[in-house]
Amino acid sequence: MIPIEFFLILSAALFCVGIAGVLTKTNGIVILMCIELMLNAANINFIAFASFLNDALGQMFVLMTISVAAAEVGVGIAILLHAYKSKKTTDVDDLTVMRW
Amino acid sequence: MFMEYAWLIPFLPLMGFVIVGFFGNRFREGGGYLAVGFAIAAFALAALTSYEYLTSDLYAVSAPFVTDVQWLAFGSYELNFGIYIDSLTCVMMLFSSFISTMIFVYSIGYMHGEGKKKRRYYAEISLFLSGMLGLILASNYLEMFIFWEIMGVCSYLLIGFWSFKHPDGDEASIKAASAAKKAFLVTRLGDVCFMTGLFVLLWSFGNLDFTTLFDPAVILTTDSTMILIGSLLLFGGVIGKSAQFPLQDWLPDAMAGPTTVSALIHAATMVKAGVYLVARSYPLFIQHADVMLIVAIIGGVTAFIAASMAMNNMNLKRVLAYSTISQLGYMIMALGAGGYVIAIEGAVHVNVLACVGFTAGVFHMINHAFFKALLFMCAGSVIHSAGTEDMRKLGGLHKKMKVTSITMLIGSLSIAGFPLLSGFWSKDLILEATMEPSTLGLPAGTIFLILFALGAITAFMTAFYMFRMWFMTFAGPPGEATEHSHGESPRTMTTPLIILSVFAIASGFLIFFGLADILTFNVIDRGAGLEYIFGHCGHTGAHILESIVNNVWTYVTLALGLFGIFLAYLMYCRRTIDPGRFNSDGESPIYKFLTARYFFPQLYNQIALKLGYGVAKGVEYVDRNLIDGTVDGIANAVVGGSGAMRKMQTGYVRNYAAYVVVGVIVLIALLVFLVKWGGV
Repeated sequence: MIPIEFFLILSAALFCVGIAGVLTKTNGIVILMCIELMLNAANINFIAFASFLNDALGQMFVLMTISVAAAEVGVGIAILLHAYKSKKTTDVDDLTVMRW
Repeated sequence: MFMEYAWLIPFLPLMGFVIVGFFGNRFREGGGYLAVGFAIAAFALAALTSYEYLTSDLYAVSAPFVTDVQWLAFGSYELNFGIYIDSLTCVMMLFSSFISTMIFVYSIGYMHGEGKKKRRYYAEISLFLSGMLGLILASNYLEMFIFWEIMGVCSYLLIGFWSFKHPDGDEASIKAASAAKKAFLVTRLGDVCFMTGLFVLLWSFGNLDFTTLFDPAVILTTDSTMILIGSLLLFGGVIGKSAQFPLQDWLPDAMAGPTTVSALIHAATMVKAGVYLVARSYPLFIQHADVMLIVAIIGGVTAFIAASMAMNNMNLKRVLAYSTISQLGYMIMALGAGGYVIAIEGAVHVNVLACVGFTAGVFHMINHAFFKALLFMCAGSVIHSAGTEDMRKLGGLHKKMKVTSITMLIGSLSIAGFPLLSGFWSKDLILEATMEPSTLGLPAGTIFLILFALGAITAFMTAFYMFRMWFMTFAGPPGEATEHSHGESPRTMTTPLIILSVFAIASGFLIFFGLADILTFNVIDRGAGLEYIFGHCGHTGAHILESIVNNVWTYVTLALGLFGIFLAYLMYCRRTIDPGRFNSDGESPIYKFLTARYFFPQLYNQIALKLGYGVAKGVEYVDRNLIDGTVDGIANAVVGGSGAMRKMQTGYVRNYAAYVVVGVIVLIALLVFLVKWGGV
């Protein structure tokens, strides 16, 4: 039996990679991928605790998160697609019209 | 059965106002006949109501007929709306609606040439009459005040009737507009006093109903000082409305309106409302002798200065305006003198002599209404025919306008106090009433002696200026305006003149046929405890006739009046005495002082400028700096804050992400901190 700490460390590491990606990358697609990483880090936490506490609710949450994340990615990609159509770029540093 | 429907009396002219106001131009004469119809209906109903009241059991015990409905109540205060009929109400509404009817009929001739604007005129005079009748029938001070204000508005509208297009040109219409404004603002000063008085009375009585306020038991338990303040403030309203010193100056300017409006304001409505208020508030005013002393002094001073200003005025209507102010002063003086005696002597004299003042004041109000309406309508007839108000351009009109000339002579004789005409009886009663306090040896006897002297001199001046006016207009060589006058006025104008001249001769005899006995009022004598008089004055006609005939001063004032007439005859008809001799041909200081109206207009302007402008400047400072500063400060803070904050919206996604991350870290740190050390 793998101790729960390993899962938590893995998930924290994955989450930090995601944050670092969101904060440093400029490509919109990569940012979306980093957000997926962070979501999956959270999913790992859910699964680990579900197994650790013998509670199936955690697994249910993960199924929920995956479906919501799928929808969210769909919306995100659609926005990026539109942005690309009008600006010919997915670089978020060039998409700064919504500002003061 | 009519008394229950007495509310219809003011309601009928009000209906006239609405119908004429909206549909007047669909009827003949702009709805003029309609207005006359409603006025006649109001008069008829007033007559029936009065007849019913004066033959009822209520009158026999001098109790008023009161019905009212609750209007609104807040806390322990209660305000009602209703009607209050006693003998004073009856007398007032009878003469007021009758004279208004006469004036309305006369208007049909006088305003014939006004075209489409007649609709506005007839609507407004109907509302005016409605305001007066409502005021007379009101069952409490607040209701009275509402109608009082309605009249104020109507007087404003009617005085400024020609402010759009005056028959005499643009300058005259500007004058009309400013006269209307002046009338409104000056009377407003009094109205504010009146309203403050109402607050004081409401606060101390909890109610403004006449039945409560005049109830001796209630008066005895109420703070005497509050009654004093309340009555003085009410009298402030009278000073404004009845054009008493020092607010008398709006009335001469009010001549800018059509002459019929002047007749309406001076005879039947408006200025009579102030005198009526004093008569109505007698039970309150009587509580303090000083209030009555002030009332009498104001009245006497007004009578004197107004008469003096009439002596050298060249404008036909203005002479009449000053004479109105002067006669109103007489009425107020009589009411004050009579009230003073009652206030001091209490019940001892009340049934014998003291209410001579009350009777004289009301009696003179009635007589004055008849002869002043007559005089104004005669003046209107002259203006209608000759087209000018300047007496220097008139003269010798007698041959061209026989009816007007003779009726005006009757009116002038009446106001001058010629024996047996109506003015003679009431003026004499007034002077007798003014004499009363000093005859009885009361504390302020000397003051009343002076007031009597002023009154007697006023009687002389009245006779002089009225006949100066009559001689200058109708006698002597024809003036330039006389040459092309149209001759006698149409029948709708002369008929009311003839009817009113009959009243100007005969209304004085009313006093011998029960008028003195009809007038009732209730007074309570504070000094003697709960001594309560509520009843008829107890005068009989014979009693009054006896006291007039036996009084030496009657003959003195009579001689003064006749001397005034004679002097005017010598100066302006025979022209054996040159008027220029008395005033250095208009150069003497007194003459100029009188022409400048005692510098009252300048005084008003100075006060308005210095005081009003100063206050306005102070208010402006507070407004600009304090109020605007606060409002602007808040707005500026919001604008500046948002200007600084919006810099956060960089548009870079990672900045937003960083804010979120930092926020989450801070929250987690806080949570950890709280769990570990905060003991949550």
